[in-house]
Amino acid sequence: MADGSPTIKEAREVLKKNKIVIAGVGETEQGKIPNKSSFHFLSQASKLAIEDAGIKKSDVDGLVTAFSLVEHTFMHCTTFADYFGLRPRFFSSVAVGGATAVWMAAEAAMAIASGQAEVVLCVRGDNTLSGISSSGMVALIREMCHAEFEFPYGLTTPGGYALAAQRYLHDFGATREHLAAVAVTMRKHAANKENAMNKEPLTIEEVVNSRIIAEPLTKYDCSIISDGGAAFIVTTEAKAKELGIKNPLAYLWGMGQGYSHQYLTSLKDLDQIYNAVNTSGQKAFQTAGLGPKDVDVAFLYDCFTITVLLELEGLGFVPKGEGGAFALEGRMEIGKDLPVNTHGGLLSQAHLGAMHHVVEAVLQLRNQAGPRQVKDAEVALVHGNGGIVSAHSTILLGKEALS
Amino acid sequence: MAENKPYEKPLPDFRPETKPYWDAAKKHELVLPRSKATGEFFFYPRAISPGNDMSEDIEWVKASGKAKVWTYSIHHMGPTKAYKDDPPYIVALVETSEGVKMMTNIVDCDVKDVHVGMDVEVVFDDVTPEVTLPKFRPTK
Repeated sequence: MADGSPTIKEAREVLKKNKIVIAGVGETEQGKIPNKSSFHFLSQASKLAIEDAGIKKSDVDGLVTAFSLVEHTFMHCTTFADYFGLRPRFFSSVAVGGATAVWMAAEAAMAIASGQAEVVLCVRGDNTLSGISSSGMVALIREMCHAEFEFPYGLTTPGGYALAAQRYLHDFGATREHLAAVAVTMRKHAANKENAMNKEPLTIEEVVNSRIIAEPLTKYDCSIISDGGAAFIVTTEAKAKELGIKNPLAYLWGMGQGYSHQYLTSLKDLDQIYNAVNTSGQKAFQTAGLGPKDVDVAFLYDCFTITVLLELEGLGFVPKGEGGAFALEGRMEIGKDLPVNTHGGLLSQAHLGAMHHVVEAVLQLRNQAGPRQVKDAEVALVHGNGGIVSAHSTILLGKEALS
Repeated sequence: MAENKPYEKPLPDFRPETKPYWDAAKKHELVLPRSKATGEFFFYPRAISPGNDMSEDIEWVKASGKAKVWTYSIHHMGPTKAYKDDPPYIVALVETSEGVKMMTNIVDCDVKDVHVGMDVEVVFDDVTPEVTLPKFRPTK
């Protein structure tokens, strides 16, 4: 994909012309919150984002939702529209695992750019921790791998990531400490995020010596499961002005996807994953006319520690095999080379796909991240990954309109 | 490896097109699908070649049964309650001599001995009277 290729130019023109923005964000409480349904969290998060934007519920004319791991619905977006009392003229459910939240923003942007809606509510919420049944959990593990050719061998979801991690350690001579450093940094960041689930300090030794789930991954290499909701509102600069939205706006500068495989059985080598991450990132970078060095704060999907290293490297922030050293040297911390997941990520804040990654990216660009604020943050990158590092999506957000 | 108690672990969720694979496994034979149009092996089995040929003309070829461990993970927790007594067990992605990857278990192998690049060979685990799972063990 060469710079200035017709599709990139087109994407850039579309974003420049429409000036797509994220104009409102909302996060509910996160953690173990029994007695609240998935749709309750979706509703609360939606209300918070609408209030944050300072608009009326009736101003929302588009809806993008995802899916629930607890309440399975055939048509998730319209089921929620019914529950929340919305009558959107554009609606869509995005279901690409951990790549979902990032792509919800892109889907909203595409809908707006093609005249389908003007103010799109993007929302996810679930009571995964309190609501999922043991059979639901087994169904989820089964769905994450091939039900016929992988699941009968007792492969688990952490196990799938562990397979990728083991090969990474082999190919680059990396160590478990390199992986652990990612978890330690996320925990450090979560300490300053008000609704984070896990805030107590964590050391490399604690991660490495904690209960092994699937070698080489221990308990702290794995993300948490939580209840909660989060939402953001996508519109245009012009519409935001018309509606009197006072928030500083986060402008969409680029977006892209990259696909590697669905099942690990279809994986040729680690380069296949790197290429998918890179394709996703490059499309966003080239559309924005930026490179990795221009990013002030990055939000990388951290369902397991290994994914952060693969994404750091695949996106071109560091050379292949050097993500672990980068993490171990503390270079992902706030104030260092590339602050990553300033909110604590899936490893320590909460797990709602990359919803909180998007919300925190917006807060950083608004200069509203409080004790977590990255000084002079002007460009944020958010990268999601679904499946077992299978499906990738990237967005770049800027503080000003793309020029 | 017959067990006295009923087998309660997940069994393959069969698709009609994979019948030759499972029928062969039951006879303790490993067969791999190959597109006649391109001569390329592929795995997992599908009704249509995943190559650009999109051919449904698939032949089932007896495999060498030899493979190398491409990556592995020693599982200390299984996906269902039926795995309660199994950990630690080895889940591995092996690359067969035909060049395809297969998810499997490495059996008859101490968890301390498994490593990337290890030579392994197919063995057959008759988990139920109907289902046989091809697994791999270190090459003797």
